[in-house]
Amino acid sequence: MKIPTLFLFACLVGALSAADAASDHACCSALAAGAFTKNSLYQIEAAFTTDAGRPVSLGDFRGGPVVLAMFFSSCNYACPILVADLQGLQEKLPAETRGRTRFVLVSFDSEHDTPRVLTEYRNLHQLDDRWVLLHGDRDAVRELAALLGVKYRQETNGSFSHSNLITILNAEGEITRQRAGLREALDETATALTTMAKSEAHPGTGGSR
Amino acid sequence: MSIRLTALLSLLALALAGPGRGAVEPSAMRTIPAGFYEPLQRSTTDAARVAVAAFQLDECPVTNAQFLAFVTANPKWRRSEVSRLFADASYLASWAGDLEPGVAAPPDAPVVQVSWFAARAYARWAGKRLPSTAEWELAASAGYTRADGKDDEAFKRALYAWLARPVPTVLAPVSSIRPDFNGVRGLSGLVWEWVDDFNTAMVTGESRADSGLDRDLFCGAGSIGAKDPSDYAAFMRQALRSSLRASNTTTSLGFRCAHNLP
Repeated sequence: MKIPTLFLFACLVGALSAADAASDHACCSALAAGAFTKNSLYQIEAAFTTDAGRPVSLGDFRGGPVVLAMFFSSCNYACPILVADLQGLQEKLPAETRGRTRFVLVSFDSEHDTPRVLTEYRNLHQLDDRWVLLHGDRDAVRELAALLGVKYRQETNGSFSHSNLITILNAEGEITRQRAGLREALDETATALTTMAKSEAHPGTGGSR
Repeated sequence: MSIRLTALLSLLALALAGPGRGAVEPSAMRTIPAGFYEPLQRSTTDAARVAVAAFQLDECPVTNAQFLAFVTANPKWRRSEVSRLFADASYLASWAGDLEPGVAAPPDAPVVQVSWFAARAYARWAGKRLPSTAEWELAASAGYTRADGKDDEAFKRALYAWLARPVPTVLAPVSSIRPDFNGVRGLSGLVWEWVDDFNTAMVTGESRADSGLDRDLFCGAGSIGAKDPSDYAAFMRQALRSSLRASNTTTSLGFRCAHNLP
């Protein structure tokens, strides 16, 4: 009946290293589902920091719908409209989908949009806990923008010219829809997101791309 | 465990391959002295000239042999392995195989059909980075015998003759190009090149639709004006950069790496 101590020890070590691996991926579903798919945006290796100061990679958002947009906090022309569009989109979602969807805002402004500034932005715009605001270094921002097809450049006055683009990612981090421009097609975007979210939450019950 | 084993095996393989057939000369780098870049197009608030600090630039574009060393060491960048997200379907299409450039891609010719992501990954692997638009344009403004190519008739003739020629099926060796004032070869005359911030060129993509910028698509772009309508080569580069996506690859687009001064 005696279980060899060595065996127990081996189990313990095994369990511990499994836990390590899970924290590497930050999310258990990522571990369960294995490697990212070939078209997953989550293959990007760039590192970001949330407005709460927590280091994340985009892959940490695997497992549910994500609405992704790039902005900068001191923008006073397009970004407030873009954020209002996203809030409008959030309101249009049925409760179940809304509860699973994350809204991720990534700042162009590596220099000024520190986690503290992003927290102020969150409070100012009353963004709820489904929202994540991300800071990345210049390299990370450029790489993400390139993946999304977002063009931007910093003007000499410090502000940024940029594409206005909302990107919808499925649970695997694949782009399923992009909306360019402002104030356009919110209903269509909400419908598409809901259909996608439902088909992923209940596979096989309709809803296709 | 198996990942570690694979890593160990590939390290071993690399060590064995060592100075043999896999060995490739690292790129020589040249110093580009500090100068000014005059953006072709700028918004009303932009300065006419942007100061560029001195930096180091590869003497030649990255060759097929050098890129082969990169994909050998980084399997995920091989043609059959690469994610479509990071390189489109024509990535390295002229190569005979994953690890075989073949006759259409001579070892000493510039590598082409590489995406921005691949170029950037190569640069990182080589301990370097891609040059910025400002750096690249500053370097490319040098003539053969003068710091400013605009005053160098022979240089301008060669540049425009190249622009008028179709891209050959097999590219010439990088060494066939005459070095410029800074000792750099092939900024013109062989291939176009990626720059790190290619996605700063603000046009919406479809050139005929781009007579003006859509304020709803782009924020704060304001009015833009070209500095020198006669600088045809700069217009072509600008047009190319603005038409590209980071995963795109073409038969005339390669890259070279840069480095901050030590």
